[in-house]
Amino acid sequence: MPSSPFLCVITDETLCPLSLAEKSLKGGAAMIQLRHKHASGSQLFLWAVEILKLCRQYQALCIINDRVDIAMASRADGVHLGQQDMPIEAARKLLGHDRIIGITASSLKEALQAQKDGADYIGFGHIFPTSSKKKESAPLGTETLRQAATNLSLPIVAIGGISHENAASLISSGASAVAVISAVSRATDPTLATRNLLCTIQKSLS
Amino acid sequence: MNSNRTTKTFLPRIYLISSGEESADNNKLLLNQLARLPRSLSCMVQIREKKLSAKELLSLALKAKAIELPEGTLLLMNERLDIALAAGLDGVHLPENACSANRLRPLAPQLIYGCSVHSLSALRIAEEAGADYLLFGPVFDTPSKRVYGAPQGLKKLGALCQQTSLPVFALGGITLKNAPLCMAKGAYGIAALSLFQESCRFVDIIEELYFNMNP
Repeated sequence: MPSSPFLCVITDETLCPLSLAEKSLKGGAAMIQLRHKHASGSQLFLWAVEILKLCRQYQALCIINDRVDIAMASRADGVHLGQQDMPIEAARKLLGHDRIIGITASSLKEALQAQKDGADYIGFGHIFPTSSKKKESAPLGTETLRQAATNLSLPIVAIGGISHENAASLISSGASAVAVISAVSRATDPTLATRNLLCTIQKSLS
Repeated sequence: MNSNRTTKTFLPRIYLISSGEESADNNKLLLNQLARLPRSLSCMVQIREKKLSAKELLSLALKAKAIELPEGTLLLMNERLDIALAAGLDGVHLPENACSANRLRPLAPQLIYGCSVHSLSALRIAEEAGADYLLFGPVFDTPSKRVYGAPQGLKKLGALCQQTSLPVFALGGITLKNAPLCMAKGAYGIAALSLFQESCRFVDIIEELYFNMNP
């Protein structure tokens, strides 16, 4: 895992993931998560291979959402699995211990279970209200994040509704990293937006 | 698990594709079919359930795998090699837009890799990717595929079979009556969903189909 605090940029369903990945890597993102629920397997594989190449150039990690098969075929650095994706035990058997498995948790209970099951990091959220994904539950808020950070030994990647304004509060609440979609993808200059976010979270530690 | 060569030499000729109607609460349809497969015949069975999440698919695949199946029956997963491996299935079936077989085979050389093809150019791609068998369709009219236009027809099936040495399964609107016509055009076997949905006649249909195909 990258040294804390770091920034993870998740690709936007509505934009080309390659150009977004490159722009965010230039800005200092340490992890790119390829997430595209409607793309075909062949398209995902091609994107994964290209994003992985870019990540190698920038010494960042390439993580594939949901598709363990695509992560295996493209030799990506790992997978990010939601609660409805392949269970972690099964994914671990396929990927081994050299590859990263991140798990989405939207409660302390899910986070503790994922830690027990052998996850490498917890994607915890959504912390703030978000427009990127349709959510039925209420935002968790920074207090729940603080509780999670106290109770977990794994790195926590905070996600959901993160902006330049609130990013620092997540790191000071115990998150190791923040993950964003629209804060970077919808910015006029994604590289600059990434750089600014990174600057904000790094300052929050000093 | 059977050895690579054995399974490929003796692919069953009847290919059942799951209904696509399984849900998290009710996944009895496929499991019932599997439990009732005639003991004397082997089948290819593809789990193709686009509405299920990966977690639910794996759960269904594990349940399917736990059923005692007729000897030689092969269980395949649509597209997802990861789920096929996690459940210990025999192979993967790859739609035309899936990750290519030659990218997946090094990860699990022991599995069977099938490819859907809808044209001669797709056939070439599938052959180059090292497909073990092909699914070609829709040969006849079938409600679920009408949005893609007219069926391919027997003539195109015949032309495709002539162009390849790979086993070709004819798919789409297959009935007990037209199955022999596909075989006469060079198909190795037939594949179907709805033909096998009539649960009360399931066993009879499979046996009659095999008899009609006269492979």
